[in-house]
Amino acid sequence: MLQLKMAKQETKTAEKYFDLVIIGGGPAGLTAGIYAGRARLKTVIIEEMIAGGQSATTELLENYPGFKDGVGGVELAMAMEEQAKRFGTEVIYDRVASVKLSGDEKEVRLANSVIKAKAVIIASGASPRRINAEGADKFHGKGISYCATCDGALFRDKRIVIVGAGNSAIEEGIFMQRFTGDITFVQDLPYLTAEKILQERIKSHPQTKFYLGTLIKSINGTDRVESVTLKVAKDGSEMTIPADGVFVYIGYTPKTDFLKDEVKLNGQGYIITDEDLKTNIDGVYAAGDVRVKEFRQVITAAADGAVAAHSVEKYLENK
Amino acid sequence: MAVVKVYSTPTCPWCVRAKQYLSSKNIAYTDINVAVDRNAAMEMVRKSGQQGVPVIEIDGNIIVGFDQGRIDSLLGIS
Repeated sequence: MLQLKMAKQETKTAEKYFDLVIIGGGPAGLTAGIYAGRARLKTVIIEEMIAGGQSATTELLENYPGFKDGVGGVELAMAMEEQAKRFGTEVIYDRVASVKLSGDEKEVRLANSVIKAKAVIIASGASPRRINAEGADKFHGKGISYCATCDGALFRDKRIVIVGAGNSAIEEGIFMQRFTGDITFVQDLPYLTAEKILQERIKSHPQTKFYLGTLIKSINGTDRVESVTLKVAKDGSEMTIPADGVFVYIGYTPKTDFLKDEVKLNGQGYIITDEDLKTNIDGVYAAGDVRVKEFRQVITAAADGAVAAHSVEKYLENK
Repeated sequence: MAVVKVYSTPTCPWCVRAKQYLSSKNIAYTDINVAVDRNAAMEMVRKSGQQGVPVIEIDGNIIVGFDQGRIDSLLGIS
């Protein structure tokens, strides 16, 4: 009987205790890790991919202050990670399975362990929004990609359609120009939404084509993408253009599925916070792209991380 | 020992994560950079039907993306 009991204890999931657990190791989470480490909070960051999150898929950040020639997305993220670790913050690479956020002891469940902490910062970010068009699922990974920096090299000298014309779309279009000259942008709005400097750069390549006020009706082919059917928003007219690859940049979806119903979200699934970045639950804060805000940038994510860590420090002082 | 290949590009975060994971489990693998090796890129597309990285091959079994569950089961990682 005693032996049985002991065996049971040994297989029990490992538990670790921290003052603060930060979910997500992008610019928001890493910055929170730097500030929390310096506040001498025992802190852990949980990241499912690599440091930097989405910003690690940006080849060059040109608008992050302090780097006059720009800084690589991965390079900046690695530096932030090292900086956070220098102040004692731990980083665990794993996926969050579930959370329990109410009460004084918060729980974050990973595959084989449970993190317990007095406070939580949710900085899980957002992922690219999937395109909703006929053929979108069939050709996912078979010509449709959400990351030109990742897959662009597989489309050398091919005909590329980029969906969207915001900063990410234009930046990735500029990146793709090293592989192919045949690039067509398709945007539902009747104008480009990227920063003016990016618009100037992409327009300086006269062979780049733009279909504005135009929707993607279907993505067509047999085994892989062969063409795209466009629909003009104004008059409903359609045309089909040949394409080997479709890169999609039509915004983001917040990564809040794992939160279930505990944290208050807005209609789009973003976390609602107050000015101190507190959520509706005591001791739970949100930072970066995952929360309701107007302008999602690396620098605004980093700023959120600092504010959230400061709020956690004040919250724990008053406990 | 399992023969493991990772078809990747240097600028793909999930590729970096996949390789870090294999290294953390002491699994030896061959890293194939499809951004520079066009023949390998064609081989990857033929084997997997995928035009996206990472693609991981473990003893001839193809895994698309960083699918930790499938990697663990093919390599017997518990």
